[in-house]
Amino acid sequence: MQIVWNEIKKILTWKSLLLLLIINCILYFFLIDFYIKHFPNGRPALDSYRLGIEMIEKYGPTMDDEEFKDFMKTYEVRVKEADRYLQTEKVAVAEGIDTYEKFNSYEWFKASKEAGELRDRLFFEDGTDLFWELQERSRLIGFYEGKEMYSSNATPAQLKRYEELAKEGVFGTYPEVAISNFRDYITNVAVAILFSVVAVMSLAILRDRTRHIVSLQYTARKGRNLLKTKLLAGFVSTLLVITGLLVIYMGLYSLNDTSMYFNVRVNTFIGNESWYNPTFFQYILFTIGGIYLVGIVFGLAAMGFSTIVPNTLTLLGAQIPFVRAFSFSACTD
Amino acid sequence: MRIFLLECKKVILSPVLIGLFLLFTGFNFLVIFNSSDHRAELKMVNEIIDTYGREITPSSLQQFQDDIQNDLLKLQQLTGKRYDSVNDFLEDLDVEEYERYSKQEQAFLSGLQVKEMYESIASSIDENYEEIDIEKEGEVALEQYQLSGKAAETYLAENEKFTKRFDEMIRNGEHKQWFFAGKAYYMHTLLFKDLFSKMTIEILLLVILSTTFLATYEFEQRTHLVAFATQRGRRLMNNKLVASLVMAFVITGLVLGSTLGVFFLVFDYSHVWETSVSSAFNWEYNFPYVSWWDLSFAQFLLGVIGVLFVSVLLISALTFSISLFIKNSYVSFFVTAASFILLYMLPSFMPHSSNWLFVAGYTVPTLVMAIPGLFMGSSGLIFFRNFEWATICSWTAITMGVLMMTYRRFVKSDIQ
Repeated sequence: MQIVWNEIKKILTWKSLLLLLIINCILYFFLIDFYIKHFPNGRPALDSYRLGIEMIEKYGPTMDDEEFKDFMKTYEVRVKEADRYLQTEKVAVAEGIDTYEKFNSYEWFKASKEAGELRDRLFFEDGTDLFWELQERSRLIGFYEGKEMYSSNATPAQLKRYEELAKEGVFGTYPEVAISNFRDYITNVAVAILFSVVAVMSLAILRDRTRHIVSLQYTARKGRNLLKTKLLAGFVSTLLVITGLLVIYMGLYSLNDTSMYFNVRVNTFIGNESWYNPTFFQYILFTIGGIYLVGIVFGLAAMGFSTIVPNTLTLLGAQIPFVRAFSFSACTD
Repeated sequence: MRIFLLECKKVILSPVLIGLFLLFTGFNFLVIFNSSDHRAELKMVNEIIDTYGREITPSSLQQFQDDIQNDLLKLQQLTGKRYDSVNDFLEDLDVEEYERYSKQEQAFLSGLQVKEMYESIASSIDENYEEIDIEKEGEVALEQYQLSGKAAETYLAENEKFTKRFDEMIRNGEHKQWFFAGKAYYMHTLLFKDLFSKMTIEILLLVILSTTFLATYEFEQRTHLVAFATQRGRRLMNNKLVASLVMAFVITGLVLGSTLGVFFLVFDYSHVWETSVSSAFNWEYNFPYVSWWDLSFAQFLLGVIGVLFVSVLLISALTFSISLFIKNSYVSFFVTAASFILLYMLPSFMPHSSNWLFVAGYTVPTLVMAIPGLFMGSSGLIFFRNFEWATICSWTAITMGVLMMTYRRFVKSDIQ
């Protein structure tokens, strides 16, 4: 036990913690910051986010047809509001766009200058969210109405899954901003964590060899069993590193304020048909489990390299392709 | 000399570096072959240049248009109907009908389509360039980058110089030369952005690995007490520095040579070497590429390669200093990578109202990451005419200073 503790202390020195800090600061600014700072990212993502919360508060984490009819009724009410709003605008009346329907079907590409200015004013300056919101509502309704159309290149297994979901009455009805933001966020966090794990663990076993103290260690009473102890210490340190980083990154994620969505099931987000149907919160837990798993694999692999390679050049060089391939595939995912 | 050669041998015979080099080169070849779908279509430019000359004059353009009209007559014979453009014909054609034509006729049809595209770009050059108002672009850029105060003044002053250069370019007719159609093929982006950015990163990885390896070798092998106690002593580091620089040069040459060699074998550039890089056909995004000097494509490519070589040597020397300071290749590798990224991000930490914003951009990392926009007046916040040479000169001075300091420090340092 004493030896394990001492080995951990050798891996997690203040120098390697500093290295962790530098790596994570840089990767944070490059990959992760965006998904925290710009959530929801502009319009109509903001309206999408607000509408989703409104839907959850009003109808709960699932919506049946009745409830959706009510949702459509709200749309009508809001359209009437927009009609009234447009009728108070002199320009709109003059251009013949005094109702929202006309406003929508108006041919904007050959609009007059006044009409263009009016539209910009309605969307960007007047401080009313009405028009953005209507756009978003009609998008959601569009998805609901097209819920039985499947992608034409779905495999038979996927089609079967779609039918299964349809039978259960599970359709993508809730706006997907929250979950797609989380997905982008967590893949980048995973890249950062893997980078950190590999960076910290790589030297674990090579370090003693470059110091030429292995022959001393192996002739001690503990003997070659020491390698097992070192690996155990490396495993524990990997867990410590992953846990520490995850706590920080999940803390940062809480700034996005998506807890209202936690009870919504993954399949009821738009465009999110999946093989299983966990809630958003369970989904987060699963991804965290996945990060632990992949992190441990990479940590062990790094230690494996560390036992084989003759020097740090080989250690770094051999791992570059793996880390690069992994972060590349995660980024394009 | 022998020490120098033996030091080089360490790098050349390192299986990891060789393996990485092969892997990277293979990866680059993959990128090239994956984007070579349109290589046959690109040959059209060669035909055009052969027939009508490299420069677009009103008479040669007229001739080109006449020839297209002749081709359209041929199309009439082929289909029995008069079309104003081959696209009108192809639009109502479905795949089965198209398959009915012979291979030759299909080649004729697609060739005519490409010709028409080039013609439409060529005949709208004047119109498109007249619409560009550089001064207005400057105002837009101020808003886009949120520049104010001194920074805005500097930007506008440089923009004024660029306006003059732009007018001069139009007078010279640099933009009226045939090149691969940018908006259709994005060849500038493929070569200078996709490929060069990959190559730059690969070269840097290899160079930083080999430099840190050489610089820290004695410490990591625990031979430093012997090595530095010999007659050669600490001057050994001079040999190592020279070996690192030569190896950096060789690695850069090998990576560039292999990848670019294959690139130019796959894509036939033989007729466009002389074409100006500011050609209107080389217009890919919102704004055309406009260089500060009258550079042909070949000159631009050589210039970029030259900048890359010098930058890699500077980075190698700086890495050497860092390694000498840290004496551990693993940590040096990460510290170098981190400093590279931090320097690259430096401008984003600067206030947008002072000239420091621009000064912070004059760094080697920014230089090597901005390869597609080098020598260009259309490259955002680093569009300054003196950007390339000022960066290289100032960083050469900085590197010399740093090397000198670390060496002096190392000579006197306590080695345990």
